Amino acid sequence: MTEKTTTRDELIEDIIDRYDGETGMLIPMMQDLQTECGYLPADELRRLAERLDLPVSRLYAVATFYSSFRLAPKGLHEVTLCIGTVCYLKGAGRISEAICSEFQVEPGGTTPDGLFSYLPVNCVGACALAPVMIVDGEYHDGVSVDAAMEILRTLPAEEIDSEQEAQT
Amino acid sequence: MPTVTIDDIQVEVEQGATILDAANKAGVWIPTLCHHPAVTPQATCRICMVELDRGEWKQLVTACNYPVRRDITVSVSGDNAVKARRGVMEFMLARAPDNEQLKAIAGRMGVDSTPWPTVTVAQRDCILCGLCTAVCDEVLGLAAIGFSGRGVDRAVAAPFRQAPDDCIACGACQAVCPVGTIQLRLHEDTDEIEISPFKARAKLRKCEQCGARVVSEPTAAEALKNVNVDWEKIRNLAKLCPKCRRIRAAESLAATASGTPTKEMTR
Repeated sequence: MTEKTTTRDELIEDIIDRYDGETGMLIPMMQDLQTECGYLPADELRRLAERLDLPVSRLYAVATFYSSFRLAPKGLHEVTLCIGTVCYLKGAGRISEAICSEFQVEPGGTTPDGLFSYLPVNCVGACALAPVMIVDGEYHDGVSVDAAMEILRTLPAEEIDSEQEAQT
Repeated sequence: MPTVTIDDIQVEVEQGATILDAANKAGVWIPTLCHHPAVTPQATCRICMVELDRGEWKQLVTACNYPVRRDITVSVSGDNAVKARRGVMEFMLARAPDNEQLKAIAGRMGVDSTPWPTVTVAQRDCILCGLCTAVCDEVLGLAAIGFSGRGVDRAVAAPFRQAPDDCIACGACQAVCPVGTIQLRLHEDTDEIEISPFKARAKLRKCEQCGARVVSEPTAAEALKNVNVDWEKIRNLAKLCPKCRRIRAAESLAATASGTPTKEMTR
């Protein structure tokens, strides 16, 4: 990661220089931008398009085509819900609906307050524990709608966890 | 010149002309949607598929972009070609089940309904032919709109799904849309034109003389950029609607004929 003092324009220039301004290297450039920023901010994409003399629509098309690119910042926490066959039969569909409606989040999106990113996935290989919800890498098994919501409601709103983790 | 045999009709076309050109010359109708003379062939809609006879084997090709390089034999009304085109049309009808333009072409092709489930209302009507994005990119050089997403989520959209910065509201995308999905909306209260569904808006230029709405202001500005001579007369004429412009030009000509210089000419 570059230092935070790096301005936006410097960052873009730096990324372009890494690939000699070759427009064919657009995807690696966008990957670098995402690594630096955590996501692809609209202003940075516009700036990159301007510098490469490409239409913004081209960059947007690429950014939306590949699922590994994200246009919104990642949430503070990462919530993964298994909606594989077994988890689905055990009620994961209802849990997903509850999460989406209570936290105003879409599958693959982030809550408006940035608390967490929500990603439903197809089977995490823990069918015996169905339904499974993974919060920041921690597996919660046999969750009901109520239990899942309780876990999410009590998620700390500040970045205490990761900092403490980093120290220990 | 190579000879193209279409459904037993023989026509000669220029080297590099397309099968579609040959069909037009032969008077054989091939349905098209994504084809427009203003842009390079897209060959995205696949509705113009015909069967090319390669001797030992036959091949389905898109007529709109298949270049004729030597004598070829093509079947438009053969079973395989008809079946292929109808199959494509059935898919399109699933995307735009209520679209009148599409239904008219479907009717002509002998397709009256689709066996497939229709798409959600949010995705409805656009057949994703890409003609609007092509005209915006190739002709206007703006590329204000483009494709977004992929698979079932693919859609034509402005970047970030916001009103596009680069759009000059010229309406070219609306003009070329083969299914009439892109529309122009006039906002009487603000004198603005809106390109739906892209949310692009621009003020309309009014004729200085009669007040008729001409084009969007940014379109007029873009067009004037292409005028290399810095001649005030041209810039003044650009402020008029086509009708008033003709009247002004006629007056000017009449004055020239009679020998009295007008105010216009002395500028």
